[in-house]
Amino acid sequence: MEANSSKKKGRISRVRHWCSKHFSDVPLLSWLIGAPVAAVLEDFVGTPLALGLGLPKVPVLFGFVLMLKKPLLIPSILIYMILIYILPVVVTAKLTAPLFNRLASKLLNVSGRLSVVIHLLLLYAGLHLWSSISAYRLLTLKLTLIAVMVTLSLNVINGYMGEFSCSHPGFMALGAYGASVFTVLLFVNDKIFGPAHLPAYLAPYMFPIALILGGCLASLGALAIAIPSFRTRGDYLAIISLAFMFIVKSMIENLEVVGGPRGLSSQPDLAALPIVFIWAVLCIWITNNFVRSTMGKALNAVRDNELAADAMTVNTRRTKIIAFLFGAFWAGVAGGLFAHVLRYVNPGTFGIQKLAEVLAMVYFGGLNSVYGSILGAVSLSLLSEMLRPLEMLKWIIIPLLLILLMIFRPTGLISFKEFDVIKLIQPRNNSREKS
Amino acid sequence: MRKLLVLLLSIGLLCLVFTPVSWGGKNVIKIGINAPLTGDIPKVGEGTKYAAEMWLEDINKEGGLKVGDKVYKVELVIEDNESKAESAVKANTKLITEDEVLVIVGPQASKQAIPAGEVANNYKTPMISPWSTNPATTKDRPYVFRGCFLDPFQGPVIANFVTKEFGFKKAAVLYDVASDYPKGLAEFFKKAWEDLHGPGSVVAFESFTTKDADFSSQLTKIIKSGAEFLFTPQYYNEVALIVQQAHELGWNKPIVGSDSWGSAELIKLCGKDCYGLFFSTHYASAGAKGKTKEFIDRYKKKYGYVPDDVAALTWDSLGIVKTAIQNCGKITGNIEKDRQCVRDAMAKIKEYKGITGDMTFTEDGDPIKCAVIVKISDKGEFEFYKSVCP
Repeated sequence: MEANSSKKKGRISRVRHWCSKHFSDVPLLSWLIGAPVAAVLEDFVGTPLALGLGLPKVPVLFGFVLMLKKPLLIPSILIYMILIYILPVVVTAKLTAPLFNRLASKLLNVSGRLSVVIHLLLLYAGLHLWSSISAYRLLTLKLTLIAVMVTLSLNVINGYMGEFSCSHPGFMALGAYGASVFTVLLFVNDKIFGPAHLPAYLAPYMFPIALILGGCLASLGALAIAIPSFRTRGDYLAIISLAFMFIVKSMIENLEVVGGPRGLSSQPDLAALPIVFIWAVLCIWITNNFVRSTMGKALNAVRDNELAADAMTVNTRRTKIIAFLFGAFWAGVAGGLFAHVLRYVNPGTFGIQKLAEVLAMVYFGGLNSVYGSILGAVSLSLLSEMLRPLEMLKWIIIPLLLILLMIFRPTGLISFKEFDVIKLIQPRNNSREKS
Repeated sequence: MRKLLVLLLSIGLLCLVFTPVSWGGKNVIKIGINAPLTGDIPKVGEGTKYAAEMWLEDINKEGGLKVGDKVYKVELVIEDNESKAESAVKANTKLITEDEVLVIVGPQASKQAIPAGEVANNYKTPMISPWSTNPATTKDRPYVFRGCFLDPFQGPVIANFVTKEFGFKKAAVLYDVASDYPKGLAEFFKKAWEDLHGPGSVVAFESFTTKDADFSSQLTKIIKSGAEFLFTPQYYNEVALIVQQAHELGWNKPIVGSDSWGSAELIKLCGKDCYGLFFSTHYASAGAKGKTKEFIDRYKKKYGYVPDDVAALTWDSLGIVKTAIQNCGKITGNIEKDRQCVRDAMAKIKEYKGITGDMTFTEDGDPIKCAVIVKISDKGEFEFYKSVCP
């Protein structure tokens, strides 16, 4: 038995070794160029290939849903996945690696920022092409990006600041309602707010203002918790913030102006994929800079030992307030986007269930890490979408996963790791080439 | 390693050989069911699923659905919406764009049916929500229908019934302010009652919040207000608590409810306290006749309990879907054309004879149908008392 397991381990490490030998010199740029290639390939030959393999349609979320519904199709789906996604991406990445290594280093020499923008454009192209195949993919992608924003903003408070805040659904609700009221009031003929005040063509330009307004409203709410909870930490803050969440929910339920428990609908259709993508990137970029700044380090100091931090001239009170408002702002923006993707909000959405979801994403992905938040949000969003056909079993599998994770990796999948963009987009030349 | 690979490959090839190639051929009609199988109201999802499966059984017994002179196989695509608004939207999008269903039945609760209806309307796919009572679900959406009457109708029905039956003049209302259905209905009832008996005739209008379990302060106020009866449009689990606590506090006047009472669970939770009370609903299970009785008996035999109104309404909605597809006359295989055709046929349905009453759709996609007043008998059965038509 032992020999067997060590043999297995040997095999895994051999695979890993093989991968690192062959792919360590592939820069991110090459991987990213592979994504649109695969998506274009799927666009052209996806349907005939899928039909040829006996699949009813192009597998929508990597065929997982289909696998669960019709297990007999698993081999076909695997072949499809290899032919459409894995092979093209790997081949393109490998083939373009030498060229793109040089390109990446040149780009980096010209300007780091330009290089980042080009990477992002490629990433967006890949996502856009991938999601253009089906409206269901598009919706899932948008909601996943929003989940990334919420998770990251909660990680600032729960991970970097080390407090346990439970008010994020409340902040989201404030942002969602703030942004919705703004856009509905100005651009929609609505029975609650009367006729539109501005022509509809202005709506896309005013949408950022709506989102920022939503974010600011959420920050204002955060200030309302931050001030009375100066002196509390740990459990007490958790309770206060939980109370805040319920206050927000009850408040909206009792506000007849915004529809009360019936919710607010007919938001204009403003949250297209590029808009959501840009806001998600902005959120990741700004948050990453924030947590790597002096302020971010001060946050870590407060988390590790508040007294010591105070002694080291960190203004702990100010640090905590800023982080709290910062996290709330992005949760509010994400809420505003959420409301405009669904084009309906009701207070019931922002309850305990949402809180559990977001917390699970934060702790699954990993505390104190931007990578972790992205990974946690993406994996749990996709997982819960893929496992939906299992109905009740899904609610056993996902919590079980969380329990296992907490046993084997108590701080999450990727925790306490810095997200260094420049390092990520560097050319991956082997050391001998460098010298 | 190599042996394993060979084995896997051969298994894979075998599977490939055995997969039916004609997936989703032209002779299949797909119907989407968007139901809350998990989440807050799993019982509702279960009722929906069971009714749909029974309906499919009937279709299969006939060998398929006959449209024009061709017989089509029917496939149900059941999606779980987890009782969440965003999941309902995702599920609808998936049903429409991925599974390419012809018609969608569901979601049940208004908080999911409103945003999901938006999706269905945008993609020009007919959708019928059996249970959603919020006017916004079908408002200005030509492709969205519903299978039940609305709250603005139910409120006056109860007000009129109590006035005629008991001759009362002072009403008390106890409702959940945080839940859209009870709140809406409470307000419609108040308006109707005050129209009948003048302003101030609702002497107590008390509220609580979802998941409250102690209603003694509200009930004490209601008892002191001198109301002659209590109207509480709550769900069955809360009704049991409210009724029991009211009786403990010495309330012995009638308590009247709405269609949300109509669950088999009510009697289990409430027991003798609920005997003799009245509520308005879509159909009465005890003493039912004809098709309704047939449905109830079959359901009870198969799943072991008397179906709730959700199951009955889902059954009727599926019946309407079937009639609409058959009235459409021809399935072309072009899904957009077929959806349009089914939608038009559905809007034209006149006096569909369902187990919950006759239905004709208005322009908004809301049915004109009768409400039933049910009395809970001394055996704990829901007995037909009176039918109130618009």
